[in-house]
Amino acid sequence: MLSNLALRVFLTDNERNMKDAPVTSPPSMQPAGTEQPIKKSPQATDAKATFWGVFLSTFVTIFLAELGDKTQVATLLISAESHKPLTVFVGAALALISTSLVGVLVGQWLAKHISPETLDTLAGILLLIISVGLVADVIGL
Amino acid sequence: MSFDWNLIGVSFITVFLSELGDKSQLAAIALGGSSSSPKAVFFGTASALVLASFIGVLLGEGTAQILPEQLVKGIAAIGFALLAIRLLWPDSED
Repeated sequence: MLSNLALRVFLTDNERNMKDAPVTSPPSMQPAGTEQPIKKSPQATDAKATFWGVFLSTFVTIFLAELGDKTQVATLLISAESHKPLTVFVGAALALISTSLVGVLVGQWLAKHISPETLDTLAGILLLIISVGLVADVIGL
Repeated sequence: MSFDWNLIGVSFITVFLSELGDKSQLAAIALGGSSSSPKAVFFGTASALVLASFIGVLLGEGTAQILPEQLVKGIAAIGFALLAIRLLWPDSED
């Protein structure tokens, strides 16, 4: 059921990208950060829908990948030792927000220096590798 | 209530180091660079990680008893594969 939901989110996001794509190049082909000047009315709602589509697909995928992963293990080891779970949670949360921010910023930096086509291909390959790594985890357990 | 800054520091550094270059950060790099909405990627990634660690702290013993780890990771693998396919073959999904 979850995967079904995720799938739907992925597909709607994709359709959205297709729909508001200019004739020459889809938005995914543009260097991130250089979005066109904001168009009014219908496109505004489209942009909102894209935001939530991207947000949800990212959230679901990373949440599932991270459940029971080593960060979580580290977090609960520290919290078990210290008996102060809230404090440990605050530290862990700050660290995770920082690493996410660093990750997205690195991606943005790359987007400025690599052609969009190359970047999409590299990003796709990277995500495939992560996927294969997870499968290997599952099989190797 | 006094806050234990030492403990916050230890938690921060441990988790920060264990996440550097880990799959979530790599995914954030890949998605943040190629997505039309990098802000959404950041909020999605950060909130997923924070919620996952919150659940970890809350349960104290991990999620393995509630959710079979293999199933969860398998679904995540499918999710990443879908994201990858969308980037590699943007026109092939209609």
